[in-house]
Amino acid sequence: MSFANTSFLRSALTVYRKEIVDALRDRRTLLVVLASSVMMGPLVLIALSSFIASFETRAEKREVVVLHMERAPSLRNYFERQTYTIKPAPADFEQQLRKSRLGDPVVVVPEGFEEAVLHGDVPVVEVVSDSANKQAEGSSARIQRLLQGFSRERATLNLAVRGVSAELLEPMQVEERDLASTQTRATQITGMLPFFVLMAVLYGALNAALDTTAGERERGSLEPLLMNPVERAALVFGKWGAVASLSMLIAVLSCFSFIPAQWLLKSDTLQAMFQFGLREALLFLAVLLPFAAALSAVLMAVAIRCKSFKEAQANSAVVVLGVSVLPLFTVFNEGGEEGWHLMIPALAQNTLMTRVLKGEGFGVEQVVVPIAVCAVLTVVGVWAVAKMLRTAAVR
Amino acid sequence: MIIVDALAKHFTAPAPGGRGFSLKRHAPQVVHAVREVSFSAPDGRITGLLGPNGAGKTTTLRMLAGLITPDAGRMVVDGIDVNERPREALSRLGLLSDARGLYPRLTARENIVYYGVLQGLSRDAAHARADTLAAMLEMKPLLERRTDGFSQGERMKTALARALVHDPANIVLDEPTNGLDVLATRALRDALRFLRTPEGGGKCIVFSTHIMQEVERLCDSVVVVSHGRTVATGSVAELLAQTREDDFEEAFVKLAFQEELHAGAAAHQPQEAAR
Repeated sequence: MSFANTSFLRSALTVYRKEIVDALRDRRTLLVVLASSVMMGPLVLIALSSFIASFETRAEKREVVVLHMERAPSLRNYFERQTYTIKPAPADFEQQLRKSRLGDPVVVVPEGFEEAVLHGDVPVVEVVSDSANKQAEGSSARIQRLLQGFSRERATLNLAVRGVSAELLEPMQVEERDLASTQTRATQITGMLPFFVLMAVLYGALNAALDTTAGERERGSLEPLLMNPVERAALVFGKWGAVASLSMLIAVLSCFSFIPAQWLLKSDTLQAMFQFGLREALLFLAVLLPFAAALSAVLMAVAIRCKSFKEAQANSAVVVLGVSVLPLFTVFNEGGEEGWHLMIPALAQNTLMTRVLKGEGFGVEQVVVPIAVCAVLTVVGVWAVAKMLRTAAVR
Repeated sequence: MIIVDALAKHFTAPAPGGRGFSLKRHAPQVVHAVREVSFSAPDGRITGLLGPNGAGKTTTLRMLAGLITPDAGRMVVDGIDVNERPREALSRLGLLSDARGLYPRLTARENIVYYGVLQGLSRDAAHARADTLAAMLEMKPLLERRTDGFSQGERMKTALARALVHDPANIVLDEPTNGLDVLATRALRDALRFLRTPEGGGKCIVFSTHIMQEVERLCDSVVVVSHGRTVATGSVAELLAQTREDDFEEAFVKLAFQEELHAGAAAHQPQEAAR
């Protein structure tokens, strides 16, 4: 009898194979997922790097744009001693600053500057910038520090002439010490990357999860499928396995796409700070693969209740929203990382991936909790689908 | 050989408006889809399950497929009780249900082979069966095409081949001619007649329909189902004799709607069975 040799595993594998072939033939959807999810992280990284690179080159150039430099020979002397190149301001500099065509703030020297300084009057030097002009605004602080340096030098010289110690002016010294490692500082910039990876995993699972459940119902192919002498659990395992595999495939592609992406980084600083190698990719996967499995099961459990693909899309929006909103907890929560964060799906994955990017990594004891949560979600999801399958087929 | 004995099934439909915000809760409606359906379909014969819309034909066939558990009654396929050993019974049944969705991204062959392997055939055996069935159903040119864009007739042929892939001894078809044109209907009829013959395997064929002509042309015996009950059984000639009619349609109306004809529409509204 053919029934007897139809083992559980064989049926599950048959379903798995069919669902994988079916999903891979849906080329358009796959391409959209690849383009939108997998490429997103690296693209954002590269865009960020060129933004930072433009700041860096500006700082390295050591240029100062001055209007009426001829009025202040002593200031010119100071600038030159600081190895700054002096560039004359164009006549319509205000207009150019407003339209962001000029990327540097302009120092305006008033008339009679030199005499005023000599007589002890206080001349007013303007630093003209536009707060809407990001580039000029970024350099503004640097130019102000430069000018304050000049002031301080004059003051010290004047006091020295009168025999007063310069230390009277500065009874205390302030020094900054940043405890953050280079990589920790980098996460201020690269902190959004785990979010993109989570989204990639989600969108990798979404379509297949909906197609194998609500889609199958809508096509009217679920009822005939259940008329085969196969255990329901085998059908569900096969389907879930296929959905989870696709999601995991997207996770792998997404993680490994960062490795070539960092070769393209334009900013040397970011390149030094963002260290994403094989070890980081594998740690990411340790976090993401159980998540992909759980997400697939949950999405299928949500979708099997729906009669059509459209209805399932509307219902799965709750899951999509959860995965996109939960990681934001770390942004709004100033209290830092807390133990319960690791128990919330999506938030836990985000937290652990952020730790990897910070260069801190994580131990087994930290990853055990999220994996256990994912395992529970997977079991509950698969069980719910198996339970709903027969009712879903005939309704 | 399929024996169905005193099958019954009721559903509880949600109360009208009961899910809304109204405070007044109506009692949920009980729908008796099948009250007492009995028939016996022997091998080498085509048995027609004839009944108006909502008579309970599809529910009966779904119970036979193990998709719904009956409240009462027994179904036996080749000596196997469907409720006790459903998967064993399913492997001896070829079922073409009302829902006959195909996978649009798979070819007709892949659709057929998928079910073959799920039925326990080896992949090679399933491919061989797909070729045999394609020859019988005259669908060879369709075999390597994706089913997306198939016509109704092409879909039906593919779905039928899929249902027969494991060469079952018993074939159950739910309204197979729905949406088919004359040629496709004829092709289907020829295929069923062939399957009935000893060369075709002497299959036990049960098919449900609400179309009288189908039954007249094809069936060796007819089971008339109405309001969830078997109301008459016999060959077309026997049913004509029983009702003393010449026209089978008249005979069917007499048998299927005798309650309405006798009781009068106003006095008794058997709406609960009209699902």
